[in-house]
Amino acid sequence: MPMNSSVRESGEIIITSGARLTIENAANFALLVSEALDASDVVAIEFEPEVEIDITGLQILCSACKSAAQNGKVFSYHGLQPPALADLIASSGTGRHAGCKHNNNSSCIWFGGAN
Amino acid sequence: MMEEAIATYREEASELLAELETSLLDLEETPDDDDLINRVFRAMHTIKGSGAMFGFDEIALFTHEVETVFDMVRNGKMTVTKPLLDLTLKSRDHISYLLSMPLGEEVDRSDGDEIIAGLRQLVPKPEIAQKGSATVPNINLPELSENELVNESTWRIRFRPAHNILMCGTNPISLINELRGLGVAHVVAQMDDVPALNELISENCYMFWDVILTTTCGVDAIRDVFIFVEDDCDIKIELIDSSGLIDREEGYKKLGDILVERGDLSPVEMQKVLMLQKRFGELLVEQGIVSPEKVQSALVEQQHVKSVRKERSEIQPQEPAASIRVPAERLDQLINLVGEMVTVQAHLSQVSMAGGDPTFIAISEEVERLTNELRDTALNIRMLPIGSTFSKFKRLVRDLSSELGKEIEMETFGAETELDKTVIEKLNDPLVHIIRNSIDHGIEMPEARRAAGKSSHGTVYLGAEHSGDSVLITIRDDGAGLDRDTIRAKAIERGLLSAHADVSDKEIYSQIFAPGFSTAAKVTSVSGRGVGMDVVKRGIEGLRGSISVDSVRGTGTTITLKIPLTLAIIDSLLVKIGTDHFVLPLAAIEECIELTREDVKNSHGRNLANVRGAIIPYIPLRQHFRITDNRPEIEQIVIADIHGTKVGFVVDHVVGEHQTVIKTLGKMYRDVKGVSGATILGDGTVALILDMRVLLHSIEQLENAG
Repeated sequence: MPMNSSVRESGEIIITSGARLTIENAANFALLVSEALDASDVVAIEFEPEVEIDITGLQILCSACKSAAQNGKVFSYHGLQPPALADLIASSGTGRHAGCKHNNNSSCIWFGGAN
Repeated sequence: MMEEAIATYREEASELLAELETSLLDLEETPDDDDLINRVFRAMHTIKGSGAMFGFDEIALFTHEVETVFDMVRNGKMTVTKPLLDLTLKSRDHISYLLSMPLGEEVDRSDGDEIIAGLRQLVPKPEIAQKGSATVPNINLPELSENELVNESTWRIRFRPAHNILMCGTNPISLINELRGLGVAHVVAQMDDVPALNELISENCYMFWDVILTTTCGVDAIRDVFIFVEDDCDIKIELIDSSGLIDREEGYKKLGDILVERGDLSPVEMQKVLMLQKRFGELLVEQGIVSPEKVQSALVEQQHVKSVRKERSEIQPQEPAASIRVPAERLDQLINLVGEMVTVQAHLSQVSMAGGDPTFIAISEEVERLTNELRDTALNIRMLPIGSTFSKFKRLVRDLSSELGKEIEMETFGAETELDKTVIEKLNDPLVHIIRNSIDHGIEMPEARRAAGKSSHGTVYLGAEHSGDSVLITIRDDGAGLDRDTIRAKAIERGLLSAHADVSDKEIYSQIFAPGFSTAAKVTSVSGRGVGMDVVKRGIEGLRGSISVDSVRGTGTTITLKIPLTLAIIDSLLVKIGTDHFVLPLAAIEECIELTREDVKNSHGRNLANVRGAIIPYIPLRQHFRITDNRPEIEQIVIADIHGTKVGFVVDHVVGEHQTVIKTLGKMYRDVKGVSGATILGDGTVALILDMRVLLHSIEQLENAG
């Protein structure tokens, strides 16, 4: 399934990751997330299980999470984190054991392991 | 030199793998035993650390994965479960395979990949940090060998890439991984600078990294990692700990000091926060002075260095070696030389006694005493505890019972019993056969056991104990026992027993040692082809040992092996028939009595002697060996106990006790029954060593045939 977004009846916007969240389509992804957060209070990512992801993708997730927190919105994901994301978090040292200051010092659902 | 080191590594790694297997099997019984968990961890840690040092990269990489999992077990994040033990035992086998491969040769990674995938599935998901907390996981240092720990330094590296690093085609994580390759690294990515979406340029890199690296490499090696990006990136490398230079106590700097050093906190801010008497990290985060990421990063540094120092402090100063490693061939050579010396010493004793010079006799006796001590010491060097092989059998029981769907445990005793190294090696195959048979034929399926009123768990006991100059090895199971009637019927069918013969249970059970004998209705992958027990018997007899079987239907079977302590030198009785000397192993000999012509006449050719009222049959060896000249008026009967039966061996003269250095007979004499070897006497003549049990058996067979 390609990267796109859809709106649920509840108003939640679901963004599907597509096969790659890498530097080549980082701009598209950032734009899609940004538009979704402008349009809805609740935005979630649905990852392709085999999605590829690099640091740009990781930064967009962090950036979107900060933006959502600043505006009292929710930015999360559905289902399981894909293996590539878990691997990237581990290899880049992004895994968190502390809270996030942008999110009221709560544990980070992306890098602190909560879902 | 390197080849020697590699050979030593292979040898030591094999020993560690054996220890690993034992610990894992013990862990299955006591999964909460911290000592065992630590032993498993340490074994893998050493295999990995030394493997990397000697170029066994495949072993180092693979073991690292397994070790990481056991690190989690050690830290209480995982529990020991059967699937974990299964995979770890498989890992042990895979490491053994990798170890057997020549260095640099392509290896088959499929098993390893499968094991690693399995282990990763067992790893629990990371725990959720509590709101506002600034804790860090326990930092452990699985990467360093003891050698490394005393030569390492710990570096604090802050790597802040240029924003356009990704656009230039450099992946910062590759650089981080290169740092990881230099030693033990803890990496904390800082996300503070990642802006909100409206400010984000998606292709830019906003993250930066704090790396705490403990390594034996110098700062140049660290700088080399950044050689292609150093002009555009902000890279700060600071030495924060070293085994030789900086304070060596176990603890480390306080969190505030680390943050001030890093420039993440000013000294004034630190003092202000300290006044508030709360946990420093929490206060900093609460007051928004330092971000949680930076606190976390500093805590990681603190824990990392503390762990390094703790581990370093645990290494005791190098003591002089308590033991040294010697190749087995050199020991064999020593034993051979001691054997020669014993022979020469016997000659010396003979000559000195014949000469009658008291000084010469005294010197000869002193040499004899020293030779005996040297012999015992040399033989003791080759003695090993048999327990080293027990763990292999535990594994065998575990794997086979699982394959057959049975529930079987193994209990061992007497693991500390020592036997000659060569004997232990040669015992391996016979024991494997016997234990496989116990598992396949002896122990019943769980439902059958329950139906018979037994526990669904069967047990195989393997034990060793000293008995005179021998070791008794007992293999006992609590299975169904041997079926006397089926064995008897099969033996009659095969012509091994007469249908009308009145034979004892023991004799019937001993039929299982006949070549090709099997009562199994079906052949399994484990046993049942009738190949094995005869090989076992031959193997044990080849060790100058004996095997016996006892069984109670419904209760179980016991197989006992009696094995001599050593194969090299034995105490014996030297006897003479005509002009020839013979040697009888002393262990089985009970007494010697005279046999006169009158006694022979009175027995009316039945070869029976009356010994204090007991009738004992005897074998005239002179007759057996067809020696006809100079028969003395009074002969000697050497009475021996063979499997509980007293039998006499008639000789001309008993010369006396003798230390016999066993020399094997050549291939020409391989099929001569009743002679197990030869020895060279002090005067250079050769004496045959008689195997009394086989001799008796072959004479019985001859008489039965006649």
